[in-house]
Amino acid sequence: MKAFRRVMLVLGVAGIIGGVARFRSKTPVPRSQGGWRELEGPDFR
Amino acid sequence: VSRVLLVGLGDVGLRAARQLVETEGIDRVLLAGHRNRTVAHLAETFGDRAEASEFRPGDALPEVDAVACALPDDLDVRVVTTAVEQGIPVASCADAAPTIDRLRALGPTARSREVTVALGCGLAPGLSDVLARHAASAFDEVDEIGVARFGCSGPASVASVRAERSAPARDWYDGAWRSTARPAEEIVWFPEPIGARDCRTVTAGVALLVDAFPGVPCVGVRLGEPQRRRIGVRRRVGDEGEWGATRVEVYGRRGRERAVVVYGVIEHTAVATGTVLALTAAQLCGAGGATIHRPGVHGLAALVDPVPFLAELASRGVRVATFEGAAVG
Repeated sequence: MKAFRRVMLVLGVAGIIGGVARFRSKTPVPRSQGGWRELEGPDFR
Repeated sequence: VSRVLLVGLGDVGLRAARQLVETEGIDRVLLAGHRNRTVAHLAETFGDRAEASEFRPGDALPEVDAVACALPDDLDVRVVTTAVEQGIPVASCADAAPTIDRLRALGPTARSREVTVALGCGLAPGLSDVLARHAASAFDEVDEIGVARFGCSGPASVASVRAERSAPARDWYDGAWRSTARPAEEIVWFPEPIGARDCRTVTAGVALLVDAFPGVPCVGVRLGEPQRRRIGVRRRVGDEGEWGATRVEVYGRRGRERAVVVYGVIEHTAVATGTVLALTAAQLCGAGGATIHRPGVHGLAALVDPVPFLAELASRGVRVATFEGAAVG
């Protein structure tokens, strides 16, 4: 029973740390609008 | 009769060889690799203009008008050094900062021997430098140049990118070198299908841009993490390799207005690098629609006229796009 509790405690702590790391490490993505247009000659602008 | 020696027949070298044998004005392409039997077979598949060469890095170069070098770092330095000593123009696609620094140190010798050395002839550095030059011509004054690249062209390139990303980085900030021990990842938006990728500030390629754009206060280069190859998945014959992309942002002033121009390229990394390397080598001997002659060691931003270079690349299938849009919050 004691071993089972320890295992559950370890899993719980690991889950919390993993969850925090997952959310904290996400780089914020700036919102933007627009798109890519292929450049063509003669001036490639 | 124009003769070009291509050294290195890996992912980039093979694409460069195909481009060189199809370039008008180049009559002979000498191919040198590390296995004679393979090189002889490859020369046959590339047609009448190709010929196998027994050249090895460290040997004296055969009689040629230009050299295209698609070798990893130390070997690349040996070939370029030999070319400078023999007075033969050379194009190199090395992209690691230590290698570029060693090659830039050949500048005084190259100038005294009237030899042109084109460095960073790849996707970035390389095509990105040409795009930076093209974008800069749209401004009265340029404030900042930012280049980012995602993608590698072969195992040596993957190793080089990993080394660059894990090393302390230097960029050009406010007119001076700035070091960062552990640069943070930043999201860069490349054209689809690459899309948004985490990229880290690196040193490679910054010096070439600083040399080419004296007076621009801020120059930075970022690299994305190479893709991991899935275990058990082998590349097939005809596989063009992984997709790569570059994004070039140039900020500046037109009159009183501050503006930004963003250019992007998406292409198989080895194809783009091989095409840029081949076209540069061709132009070093007067083929490929232009002639490059500027004694010394330079990046492409200081060597080529962007519009004809981009036109020639477009005719070879390497196309450029511009981003038209704005941040909304």
